[in-house]
This record gives sequence, C-alpha cells and structure tokens, in this order.
Amino acid sequence: MHNVAIKSKEVTLLEVLDRVLNKGVVVSGDIVISVADVDLIYLGLKVLLSSVETMEQLRGSPFVGPMQEAT
Amino acid sequence: MTLYTYGIIDSSDQIKESIYGPEGSGVYNIPYCDIGVVVAELNEPVQNVSKSSVLAHEEVIERLMEHFTILPVKFHTVFDGRNSILSMMQSYYKHFKDNLNRLRDKVEFGIKVIWPADKIKKSIRNSRKKGEHEMPIPDGSLNKNFVRKKLEKYKINEEFEQKAYKFINVMDIFFSKFAAEKVLKKLKTENLLLDAAYLIDKDRQADFKKAFEHIKNAHTGFKFLFSGPWPPYNFVICRRKVSYLKIPNKKICLIK
Repeated sequence: MHNVAIKSKEVTLLEVLDRVLNKGVVVSGDIVISVADVDLIYLGLKVLLSSVETMEQLRGSPFVGPMQEAT
Repeated sequence: MTLYTYGIIDSSDQIKESIYGPEGSGVYNIPYCDIGVVVAELNEPVQNVSKSSVLAHEEVIERLMEHFTILPVKFHTVFDGRNSILSMMQSYYKHFKDNLNRLRDKVEFGIKVIWPADKIKKSIRNSRKKGEHEMPIPDGSLNKNFVRKKLEKYKINEEFEQKAYKFINVMDIFFSKFAAEKVLKKLKTENLLLDAAYLIDKDRQADFKKAFEHIKNAHTGFKFLFSGPWPPYNFVICRRKVSYLKIPNKKICLIK
C-alpha cells in the first residue's frame, strides 16, 4: 500500500519518522481523568482522548514500544 | 469503538476516494461546520507502532493532501467516539480554520545539510597554529597549559560556529526567496549544519527545487538531503487554551 507517494520522493525512513512521530497537531498534551472526583494524571501521553473505560483497557494492555505507553 | 485520526481538512464533504485505515476500514470525514476530521474506525484500543504502520499513516495523509489542505494530526491520536471529536472540534475550530487558511496551497520541503565538521575544525586549528592567534595567558596562572588549552578550544568552537552561521545564512537567504515560512535548526550536531523546513507555495515548487540544486552545486564537499513535498507538519500553529470538555457519562478534563 505505502510505496507510490513515499518512494517517489526519495525520502529516507528517517524523514518520514521525524515528521509522523514528532510533528503534527497536538490536540492535548496531558489529560486528567477524574474517577470518583480523584484526578489521575497521565503525563507525556501520546495524544489520546479517551474515556475512563478505554484508559482502563489501555492500562491493562502490554506495551510494545514507548509510543504505546499510556502512563 | 475508537476513532483513529489522520488530520483536519478544509472540507466537510465526504472523501470520494477509497482509502483504508489501520484495520482495513474505510477512511472517512467527520464534518464540523465547513471543515472536517478524517478518521478510521478501530476495534482494538491501541495499534502497534511499527515501520509499516508509520508509513501507512503517512500514505493516507499524502493521499488526502492531493485533494485537500490538511493539518496532520500527531501519530496515534485516538478518540473514543464521534462525540469526543465534535467536542474537540468545538474547542479548536478557530485554530484549525486559521491554520487551514494560512496553509492553503502550500507544501513543506525538508532540507538537511551535513558538512565536514572534522575538516572544518582541523583547518581552523591549523590556521590558529600559525601563531597569529596565540592567546595571552594572565601572569601567575597555576596551570598555564590547562588554561591555554581551554581558551584555545573555546576560540576554535567560536570560530567553528561563526563559519557555520555564515554558511547557513547564505543558504537560507537563497531558499527564503521562495518560502512563505521556515523553521531552521542550526547545528543540531556538529555535522548536521542545517535541518530546515520551508513552506512553499505549490506553484513555486519548481523554483524552490532549482534553488536547492544551485546551492547544492555551489557547496561541494557538503551533503544535502532534500525531501518533499510534505503536508505542513512543521507549520501548524496550535496555541493551547484551557477548556473543559463535558461529554455525557464521561469525565474528561483537558489541560492545554
């Protein structure tokens, strides 16, 4: 799937990674989720807007790489 | 169901082209006023980060870029549903709209310039060894050699930076003639002289490429890496503001 546009521009993977992983609109950097009026703060989160239920799911999921860390 | 986000586009129309997201589901536009958020549905909460997922993400953005002005959203931005997206759009609409207007019909190009830092430093060192640049050491110094070495190192670095900025300046003046905006990172490392992104009008791309070739040919011994056209990753300005999103049955406070 991903070959036409990218390869024709003679870019290196590094260039793609630099932009896709580091740049772009950041909707919110940090998110505070309140559970029973207690704020749980997730710092340095990859931009994630989620419900408490989803966060709970994420916390239970195994981490594959730094970008996947939910805390 | 979560919504994997690709970017904000300057249209509320549906995407006519068949583009597929991480799990093979169709990519579609969620309209908000006259703009929209392009998403794909996800069943799994988090997608693996891999080389192919990054490239696939970029591929989708580039295909959207062919038809729309797009503000790429940071990789792996996930929302938990349409309501969350609409709430976010309500908060950010003006910022997005301003950016879309500013970036319309413009693309980003990346330029990296690598220079032979070792050779440059060696030539500076050699020219200083000829004696004209002997540093005066104050009398009474306990360790003249140590002080002299330190001062010499400082002077070499200073001269090295001056040389670097002179080169960067020459290149940048030339590139800037064709650019609407630019982001420059100078001497990120000793060898990486310049890491720059230039925002170019689509109809000036050819001129910019010519300018690059000219500069490249004028600096033999330097290595140049040119990439683009990219979506304007480096030029989206989104000033944060404090807001509180209240979504039914969910408690989410955003600190911006």
